[in-house]
Amino acid sequence: MSIEAITIPKWGMTMTEGLLAEWLVAVGDRIERGQEVMEVESTKTTNAVESPVSGIVRRIVVPEGDTAAVGALVAVVADASTSDEDIDAFIAQFASANKQENGEETGAVASRKIDVGNGKVVNALTIGPESDSTVVLLHGFGGDLSTWMFNQDAFAKNFRVVVLDLPGHGASTPISEGNVLVALTDAVEKAVASVANGKLHLVAHSFGGAVAAALAERKGEAVASITLLAPVGLSASMNKQFLDDFVAAERRRPLKEVLERLFADPSTISNDMVEATLQFKRLEGVPQALGAIKDLIANEQGQVQSITATLREFKGPVQLIWGESDQVVPVPTQSEVPQNVTLNTLPGVGHMPQMESTTEVNRLVLENIAKAK
Amino acid sequence: MAKISYRQALNDALHLEMARDPKVIMMGEDLTGGAGANGVKDAWGGPFGVTRGLLGAFGPERVRDTPISETAFVGAAAGAALTGMRPIAELMFVDFAGVCLDQIVNQIAKFRYMFGGHARTPLVIRATFGAGTRSAAQHTQAFYPVFTHFPGLKVVIPSNPYDAKGLLLQAIRDDDPVIFLENKMLYDMVGEVPDGAYTVPFGEARVVRDGSDVLLIAFGRMVQVAEEAARKLASEGVSACVIDPRTTSPLDEDTLLEFTEEIGRVVIIDEANPRCGMASDISALLADKCFHALKAPIKMVTAPHCPVPYAPNLEDAYVPNADAVIKAVKSII
Repeated sequence: MSIEAITIPKWGMTMTEGLLAEWLVAVGDRIERGQEVMEVESTKTTNAVESPVSGIVRRIVVPEGDTAAVGALVAVVADASTSDEDIDAFIAQFASANKQENGEETGAVASRKIDVGNGKVVNALTIGPESDSTVVLLHGFGGDLSTWMFNQDAFAKNFRVVVLDLPGHGASTPISEGNVLVALTDAVEKAVASVANGKLHLVAHSFGGAVAAALAERKGEAVASITLLAPVGLSASMNKQFLDDFVAAERRRPLKEVLERLFADPSTISNDMVEATLQFKRLEGVPQALGAIKDLIANEQGQVQSITATLREFKGPVQLIWGESDQVVPVPTQSEVPQNVTLNTLPGVGHMPQMESTTEVNRLVLENIAKAK
Repeated sequence: MAKISYRQALNDALHLEMARDPKVIMMGEDLTGGAGANGVKDAWGGPFGVTRGLLGAFGPERVRDTPISETAFVGAAAGAALTGMRPIAELMFVDFAGVCLDQIVNQIAKFRYMFGGHARTPLVIRATFGAGTRSAAQHTQAFYPVFTHFPGLKVVIPSNPYDAKGLLLQAIRDDDPVIFLENKMLYDMVGEVPDGAYTVPFGEARVVRDGSDVLLIAFGRMVQVAEEAARKLASEGVSACVIDPRTTSPLDEDTLLEFTEEIGRVVIIDEANPRCGMASDISALLADKCFHALKAPIKMVTAPHCPVPYAPNLEDAYVPNADAVIKAVKSII
């Protein structure tokens, strides 16, 4: 095998460096792709980082407790037969290559607000090279574009990637009047049109799945592939209590308890995540917008949206990714999934597969994109 | 989200709320450059630059310069609040509350109670406090324990630009009298603040930093001191949690008790003098309700029991700093 690098990941726009909080593997260990190898702490969050490769940990470059720039080499993975000299040469070469790129690669990326008419803006982050198709990432109810912070860079290696704040979320203007789903889709369509090239690969989470389906319906063949993570709209069952409690929670303690239901492992929720969500929920117009979207998702009888027909009639590849321990939108039964749609379920994962099982989700998304013509 | 100063965050809140609600008025000394003076109006934006632009936007009827008489304008603001306005009175230095203490503690704080709940007093008294500006003993006191003592007053001490804006909007919209205390040393502090309006509720502590070995509780400028201490302690392998209660009245007892239960070691950092201060008040609360969870004595890091000195080296020694916090932490772990 070749010599491979494990580096400090970039989570979100403002992250420029990460603290290596803990090594979960030691030099000499055999590791598998997708295995958690280290805990990295940014100013906003802490997460386990999964290895992008399989092999033997030959060298740990950054020790526990040290801080390194985004993209910096922290460990080297190779097979047992690779010589120490080759590994030294790899480290030296990596350091000089990183130096040349420094400033561009490790700097903070800024999102920008796109005017979508009627005095409204959609906040969007555009990353990755110019490419002949664009990956569009849509978050779910109550989230924002940082939902994709562990994923966006994997897609941006080969594609132009557009990450949006849906209206009423993040830094996008709230919408709570009229037909909210139509208005939301209008805004997203306009924002995407102004920054995306070529065909679209839609990747959406939870409620974002309904927006993606509405967009696919409108754009026809301009959409090349669809990957939905735990989307609404495939079955009637839904944890409506989660929606009600999320909208009602105005303080740290109750909100933390609600957010913990999103993950299979509730300790994933940090106080910073709770504070960030509270800050968003306090903004003027947001509670009304969230209330309106909540009603679009479910009522007393269960889910309101149905995207089954749209997915069934879609000509390109459609894939679903679902955590088996999802407590918010339960995994649909096989009969609820149209025949042309692939369902991947992930064990030990809750409603946030993109964060809970980053490497696997990234791989599945890229696989589905590759299937598109 | 834009990064703006604490001063600008307060100014934004005043502009937003005066534009939204015509009942909001301001009064105080030098808000617009001095009552009756012939010079350029609003040249300084008030003594600390917080009220800049309000005179031009809302006019002298709503942004009123007053004579140097706290007794007069705090009393006038109390009357305006009782009769339907939402006044904001600015005390240039909280130390001057001495001359209007009757208005504040005997009148304003008592109206709702003594009129059987029929009177509303939606009044904000904004004031600067705190040492560090070489302004000597009569312009640098902390004073918040005094107001916290009296039922009927809400007492707010924002520690950063985000909270400054959200807590001030909440204070103006609140139907009870609020003492809003701005540490002079924080006016230039910069932080991310949303453009639009939002409110931060009272009695809701902020978990500034997660940690598991020791709990640091701090208000206002002392939050920075606690954070600095926590960073230094982290490099020595000690994990410190920092909590900012944001308001001393109401006090978020639940959060303080929850984290004390979890962590068991507590240091309280208070810029006020030590006797009858927030540090001793919170210590008593935790010792009473959380005694079983404590693994060590509660430590208090406060100013000494003396006036704020004028000599710069003595003033610097007077204010609690990170080294003092670290020393206190090390004495209990």
